[in-house]
Amino acid sequence: VNSLITVLLVPFLTATALALLNGHPRIERAVNVGSCLGLTAYVFWLLGYVDAHGIQSSAIAGYPPPFGIALVADRLSCLMLCLSMSVGTVALLASLRTLTATQERYFFHPLFQFLLLGVNWSFITGDLFNLFVAYEVMLVGSYGCMMIGASRRQVHQSLMYIAINLVGGALFVVGIALIYALVGTLNFADLAQRTAALTGARAALVTATSMILLVVFALKAGTFPVFFWLPDSYPVVPAGVNGYFAGLLTKVGIYSLLRVFVMTFRQEGHELAATVLLVVAGLTMLLGVLGAVCQWEIRRILAWHSVSQIGYMVLGIGLCTDAELAPAGVAAAIVFVVHHSVVKSSLFLLGDAAELATGSSALKRMGGAAALAPGTALLFLIAALSLAGMPPFSGFLGKLLLIRVALQGERWVLVTAAVVTSFITLMSMLKVWSYAYWGPPCRATAAEPSTGIAAPAAVLVLATIVLGVWAQPLLRYVDDAAAELTQPTTYVDAVFAERAQAPPLSAALTRAAR
Amino acid sequence: MELPIALSIGLLFAAAVYSLLRPNLLRMVIGFSLLSNAVNVLMIACGGFALRNDAPFVHDPQMVVGLMDPLPPDIILTAIVISFAVGALFLTVAYAVYREYRTVDPEALPVGEDAESAS
Repeated sequence: VNSLITVLLVPFLTATALALLNGHPRIERAVNVGSCLGLTAYVFWLLGYVDAHGIQSSAIAGYPPPFGIALVADRLSCLMLCLSMSVGTVALLASLRTLTATQERYFFHPLFQFLLLGVNWSFITGDLFNLFVAYEVMLVGSYGCMMIGASRRQVHQSLMYIAINLVGGALFVVGIALIYALVGTLNFADLAQRTAALTGARAALVTATSMILLVVFALKAGTFPVFFWLPDSYPVVPAGVNGYFAGLLTKVGIYSLLRVFVMTFRQEGHELAATVLLVVAGLTMLLGVLGAVCQWEIRRILAWHSVSQIGYMVLGIGLCTDAELAPAGVAAAIVFVVHHSVVKSSLFLLGDAAELATGSSALKRMGGAAALAPGTALLFLIAALSLAGMPPFSGFLGKLLLIRVALQGERWVLVTAAVVTSFITLMSMLKVWSYAYWGPPCRATAAEPSTGIAAPAAVLVLATIVLGVWAQPLLRYVDDAAAELTQPTTYVDAVFAERAQAPPLSAALTRAAR
Repeated sequence: MELPIALSIGLLFAAAVYSLLRPNLLRMVIGFSLLSNAVNVLMIACGGFALRNDAPFVHDPQMVVGLMDPLPPDIILTAIVISFAVGALFLTVAYAVYREYRTVDPEALPVGEDAESAS
């Protein structure tokens, strides 16, 4: 299909329209929700289409890859787009409940659409430089959503978030420049082809350079040495939108790791990245969960758990050290990405709902949310058990797959780390449950009704149950997606299919480049 | 040509990192703009240096040989726009922090400020 640009145009045009409509909150809300629902329907259709007809690619302005900008939708991209749009719609609906008039006046709606634009763009782009541009669009949207309303605390915490991401962005361009100098292309498909032929010193140079990109993606994903920005910045994001932050923004880093380190870099010795990631995974899991148990504020606990759970996804990617285990490891990582987006997003939203009901976010002052908002409490319990990895929810499935692959690869230390982390996660979730939800209610009636947030979150909780109980379609799809990533020939063919109809100028350039 | 360019890239990076590590928000802003320029010069160097001084307009496929690669300048233009916009944003936030806390020293800001102490 040639309509891939829809996933970029719709948020872009909606954002522009919303900026012009500023000051008419009711119309803005209707347009924003309508646009999100429409695009959600489109990406689910696209997922079905790609699953049936293979990878779709479209060259912007008719310049064929590798010279033009390519948009490519393979199974992984489509899955991530579906996650982005469905979690985004849920988070938007939840944030409509908590938005203040000031936040709406200061362009919340356009900023949210730009955030969606950046995230969608990074999932569908077919080259490294566009990935950088998509990151920046996403980051600017996220700075806006994080600081909106500009309370003291928001400004202070977003300053550090901005500073760390500025340095990350500069490093990203350094990596891109060096890769371009070494390999001569930035298109993923072209890079995959060319790096596969590299051996010796040249391959070692590419591997060394790719480590710069590894740091950038690890920073974005919030893994071990570079996670410090995450637990401080997520708690200040306004309620509602924080569901989207927690569900998707770190996943962009994981997606980039999958796309670039599993699929694109195939030179001799590229396993080094996976080996580094294995070490990072174990430390991220353990340190993240240990950070969580000593926190006393519900949002900070959840943010630290985000760090810890990222470790599981990185573990799946790290298992690619062994070429035979690579498809299974990647599939497990993707299942975990789906599970974690859905569950962490719902947990953040339900934490917001409990905050509304009890009027506080400090665990010791909450108490009795189960009596004040029973529905919210039930949903939170399900999501928390799913996060800890209890059957029959999706968390169990994700962890089962990962640990099975890790056992096959005989990574005993990492298996132990994963299991220990699971237990501590359960303990920490029970702490939240017993302090915030159980016990004597901290007030006679709910401070504010929380259904406006809990109802959208219920959709996500339902999804975690369905994905856990009826997992077969997802597993089949993810296995195919992992096969596409680990054996990128179909991807390369789909991207270069358009070269046949190349206009004369590009054909000349292609000849000259050879 | 390579040596002076390489030296200036190194110098720019050193100055940028030094400024970024100062406990002063304004110096951090300056450090960031130096950093983005260091990256841009690096990108020029990665594109290679032109063998001929022709502009890259191609009429005859034979003429393509020996021209400067047009892609790195494209990338740099995009990167300049992005770093300018983000740098302006960073400066604004630094000013907002100064207005709230009356200091430009990030280490003087309250640490571990969470809901318990804020509310």
